This record gives sequence, C-alpha cells and structure tokens, in this order.
Amino acid sequence: MKLSRIILWPLVIVLGTLTSLCPAQQPPPAPASIEAVQVIGLAGVKQNTKGSLKVENGSLTFASSKKTCEVPAASIQDVVTGADSQRVIGGTVGTLSRLAPYGGGTALSLLRSKVDIITIQYRDPDGGLHGAIFTMPLGKAESIKQALLAQGAHASIPSQAKSNSDSALQSEAMEQTN
Amino acid sequence: MKTMRRVTILCIFIARLTVTPLLCEQPKPLASSPAAAIEVDMIQAGEISLPAEFQVAVYENLVQELQRQGGFSQVYRDGDRNAANASGLVVLHTTVIGFKQGSELKRDVTTVGGATSITIHCQFTDKEGKVLLERDITGKVRLIGDNLKATDDFAKGAATVAQETLSSNSSLSNPKKSGYKNVI
Repeated sequence: MKLSRIILWPLVIVLGTLTSLCPAQQPPPAPASIEAVQVIGLAGVKQNTKGSLKVENGSLTFASSKKTCEVPAASIQDVVTGADSQRVIGGTVGTLSRLAPYGGGTALSLLRSKVDIITIQYRDPDGGLHGAIFTMPLGKAESIKQALLAQGAHASIPSQAKSNSDSALQSEAMEQTN
Repeated sequence: MKTMRRVTILCIFIARLTVTPLLCEQPKPLASSPAAAIEVDMIQAGEISLPAEFQVAVYENLVQELQRQGGFSQVYRDGDRNAANASGLVVLHTTVIGFKQGSELKRDVTTVGGATSITIHCQFTDKEGKVLLERDITGKVRLIGDNLKATDDFAKGAATVAQETLSSNSSLSNPKKSGYKNVI
C-alpha cells in the first residue's frame, strides 16, 4: 500500500509539471493594422487607395485617409493569398519616368518590390457578391488570412499554417499505423 | 414589239419592288426588347486556371464599367435578391477561354514582349435562360500598366457591347461600332 503511494505521488507531480509546461492552444493573435493598398472592390473606396488593414471585432477594416470600410468576417466566402511584384516607383511618376533619357526609365523599372496579395469574396446584406483585392508587404497576407478564418471567414484553400499542422498530424498518424 | 417592251418594263418594275425593301432593311436588334437591368454573374474559370485576383478584378471591373457607362438603370451583382423582381433583366454569364499572364517587368524592359491577355466568353441571357447574345471578348495590356489592367480592358469592351446591343438606350445593334463579332 505504502509502495503504491510512493510511486503515485511522484507520478502526479511529474504529470502536473509537464501539463503546466505545455503551451495552451490559443488562436493566433490578430495582427495589428498593417499598411495595405486596396486595389479594387470596396464600395466607395477608389482603386489603388493606400490605407491600413486590420482584423478585429469580427470584421476586416480598411481605413484610408478619406474613408473607413468594414467587411464582417462571417460574410467572407473566400480568402486567397498570393504574391506578386510591383514597381518601387509607381503611379504617374512611374509612368513619366519611362521617358527618362539613356534608358533611365528601363533601369528604374527594374527596381521592384515583392508584395503579398490577399483576395476576398464576400456577400452584402442583399446577397450580392463582392470581391476585393489588397496588396501589402511581403509575409503579411497569411497572418491576415489566419485572423479572418479565426473570426468566422471561410476559405476554399486552407491557410498555410493550418495545412502544415494538418499534414504533420497526418504523417504522425501514418507513422503510428506503420 | 410594243408588248415585248411592256413586259420588260413590268419585269423591271416588279424586280425593283422586290429588291428595294431588301436593300433598305435595317439590322434587327438582337434582343427582342431593350433590357433595363443587368445581373453580372461571377466569372467561371472553366478549364483554365485563373488566379483569384484576376477572377475578382474581372468581376469588379465589369460591374463598375456597366454602372459607369449608364446603359442600364440597375446593375445587380451575382446572387442579389433584388434582381428577382427586376423587369427586363439580362443576365451576363462569363467563362474564361484564354489566359496568358505576362510580365510587367518584361514589358518595361523589352516594350514588345510580356503582354498579358485574357479572353472571355460572354453569354447574355434573359431571366429564363434564353440566350440573347454570345461574344468572345479579349482584354490586353501590352505596354503600360500592371497585369490586372487587362481585366479593365476586357470590362470596357464587354460593357460597350452590352450597352450597344442590349441596354434600353442602345442605338440598335451595331457590331461594327464595338468591333466584336457575334458568335450566334
């Protein structure tokens, strides 16, 4: 009887320590607002408007100097991320720079920065389908997507982090069966 | 001799009567009655893989261009419940049949290569699904602008076609004006 108690107590202590050390599974923290460009799609916002994008209180918010637009995460049917590159000097200045002499315009067009693209499709209260495209600094789109999915948005392609964890679980299961 | 002349004159007269209305015939509008409203369906990628941003850009540009050109009193989005009560509604279905993603960098450097083009089959139907008009429309960006500009080019072409042939203030069908050939 005493022997079993001696074995049980250290076991309980060890298990308790291990449990407290294990990190609790929490949803990914919502990223703070990030600089983004609304390429097209938000009602009342001009094309290629610069602003900040954030996910909070169950909605995606794009705020520019003139207007703030909110899209409820639950109304988002699809979120897709991608990548592209764009000219460092864009807009009218970029177009005019093409006329620079001695191939200066061509040289300037070689200066490009990589950007992330996030594309969403959502429904308005009448059921009408809308689409919106945002570009943002490289590596930011995936966190926005994860935050949107955590707040009720849907996606045809699961987020990279989730698919990685799913594939890890699948490989573990495969190893166990083998 | 006299009878012969009379017969000849009579034949010429009959021939003129037959030919004149044929020569003066105006081209008939393709739609039975001008449409007051249009519903734009989300583009179908079909067998061609189209990046999500292009899909959304085509759809949004099309809606914006149809609103901007003002040929229709109402432009409804895919799934809009208000479209069910609209009279004289035309539904625009679009399917990608060709897509070539070029490179802005290549366009900048070479000025001849790297063009982006997108060809879309546009089908205009009435509420019941009867086909009113079918056309293949291409959008391109050859020199200045990013790749998504091809979708804007397409949308302008499609909206012009819709306005000229189907809208309530169209000046009858004039395919030569829009530069696109009818498929049906």
